[in-house]
Amino acid sequence: MGSAVIYIRLRQKFKAKINEVIRIKKMAQIIAPENLRHRINELAVYHVTEEDNSFIVIDVMDVIKEIYQLYPDLDIQTVGPPQAIVEVESKKRKMMPLFFIIVWLLLFIGAGLTIMNFHEDVSMRGVHQKIYYLMTGKTNDKPLILQIPYSFGIGIGMILFFNHIFKKRFNEEPSPLEVEMFNYQQDLDQYVIVQEKQKSELKKHHD
Amino acid sequence: MIKDVFLIVVGFSSGLAVGCGFVAFLTVLGIIPRLAQLTKTFRFIRAYEWSIVVGALFGTWVGLRDIHLATAPVFLIPIGLASGIFVGMLAAALTEVLNVLPILAKRIGINEQILILLMALVLGKVFGSLFHWTIFVDD
Repeated sequence: MGSAVIYIRLRQKFKAKINEVIRIKKMAQIIAPENLRHRINELAVYHVTEEDNSFIVIDVMDVIKEIYQLYPDLDIQTVGPPQAIVEVESKKRKMMPLFFIIVWLLLFIGAGLTIMNFHEDVSMRGVHQKIYYLMTGKTNDKPLILQIPYSFGIGIGMILFFNHIFKKRFNEEPSPLEVEMFNYQQDLDQYVIVQEKQKSELKKHHD
Repeated sequence: MIKDVFLIVVGFSSGLAVGCGFVAFLTVLGIIPRLAQLTKTFRFIRAYEWSIVVGALFGTWVGLRDIHLATAPVFLIPIGLASGIFVGMLAAALTEVLNVLPILAKRIGINEQILILLMALVLGKVFGSLFHWTIFVDD
């Protein structure tokens, strides 16, 4: 079996619980001869303990090391990302509903205030009066017939931009917000990989 | 005569600066591509550019002159709605450029309920605007 080749592909990101033993089958896809695969899948790579941070980075080298100890003759090929991020699930991650309501109200009042500031800032009232005069030839200090549709239009415009009507969407394309969330998550992941790697390398040097 | 030439130069250059600024602002916020993407009409993006230019010119002209029509006030409803939608898209695009929601959602540990937070912003804008026009401004 000396010339057997196995291929490993790490998962980019997955969740684990405290005290869980992470086995290879959980963190990677493996292509290997049938008899080897079951043995390799059950190999333990990492034991999550209380002391771990909320993120652990496992390098593909750690995985290879485990396999190498048992089967030094195998030809191991890696495909895909060189690290896997483990998100440690802790119990306190549940969010308080009260907290959520406060944030919601904060956004609600803040959004209302900013639109009022904006209107005052650009003399929206004067513009509306001017538009009213332009169309009807009469003056009206409070052209509500223009301003009420305008107010609802603001809401429609925001929803259109984010491509959501509450939960329904107009087409399958991701909204800019979803793309933004994705990019932000990628940046965070990249940061975690670099930071955690440095930390664990420091630890190894001290050992 | 020399005064007139000076005024023409000043007027033309300030118009140039304002026009550039307006287009730059719209480009940064990316509202036109977003609308084209929603309606799948990327082919007409040139026509949309012209729509912006003609609209800005028209607005400038009627804003500076004292011309007016004599139509019924009902026609103001679609105009109000359209200008509201445009302002709403501007506001949404600004929020998006500033990256507020992703960071906020991450901080307080929610991902699924981000829609509800979005609705807080949307409803806040609508009610803030309604409040402004109906109650806040004095007659």
